[in-house]
Amino acid sequence: MIHFLLMLAYAFLISVFFATLWRHDFASQLRLFLQMFFGLVVGALLLAWLMYPFPAGPPTS
Amino acid sequence: MSEQADSGAAASGSGRALGLAALSWLVPGAGHFAVGKLRKGLVFLLVILVTVLIGCELQGNLYRVIAGQPLTLLGTVASLGAGLPYLALRFVFHYQGDVMARGYEYGTAFLVTAGLMNWLVVLDAWDRARTHGAEREEGE
Repeated sequence: MIHFLLMLAYAFLISVFFATLWRHDFASQLRLFLQMFFGLVVGALLLAWLMYPFPAGPPTS
Repeated sequence: MSEQADSGAAASGSGRALGLAALSWLVPGAGHFAVGKLRKGLVFLLVILVTVLIGCELQGNLYRVIAGQPLTLLGTVASLGAGLPYLALRFVFHYQGDVMARGYEYGTAFLVTAGLMNWLVVLDAWDRARTHGAEREEGE
């Protein structure tokens, strides 16, 4: 299971859905899709980077 | 006489809107097919089905109401939004998910998201039917 790919799939599906729901012509749908998709992916990576200094949790063993 | 005709037409329009909403709930995108929005309907159908399939592949939880756990009611209402896919998974395939699976939490998120997306599609189909799609498109 690759976490990053799942995140990409989730962001892709959500972005396609809302671009289709909220916009009616192809150009604005594409624009909203790109904004949402890259916003979600870059936002998640940024959040992960900001959380990097925090400890990952108790040891699993 | 004219008022009676107007109220009759309004009731008929309202009934049609509810019917389309119900159809849209049962089969994601079907409400949009019915009002002639084929491309939108197809995208909604595909996106929601793919989201459900990924959720099942990851063995996510398909919520059902559990006595004494009120939050499962919210999860069930959200997941139930997927309509026929939810009903088929639960009552035909007896799908339950696997809490020990590595993708359980992710899968649950996908399954709940699919249901919530279809609730939005239902509202959009209902709104389109109520306000007559063509007029609404012109206004946007």
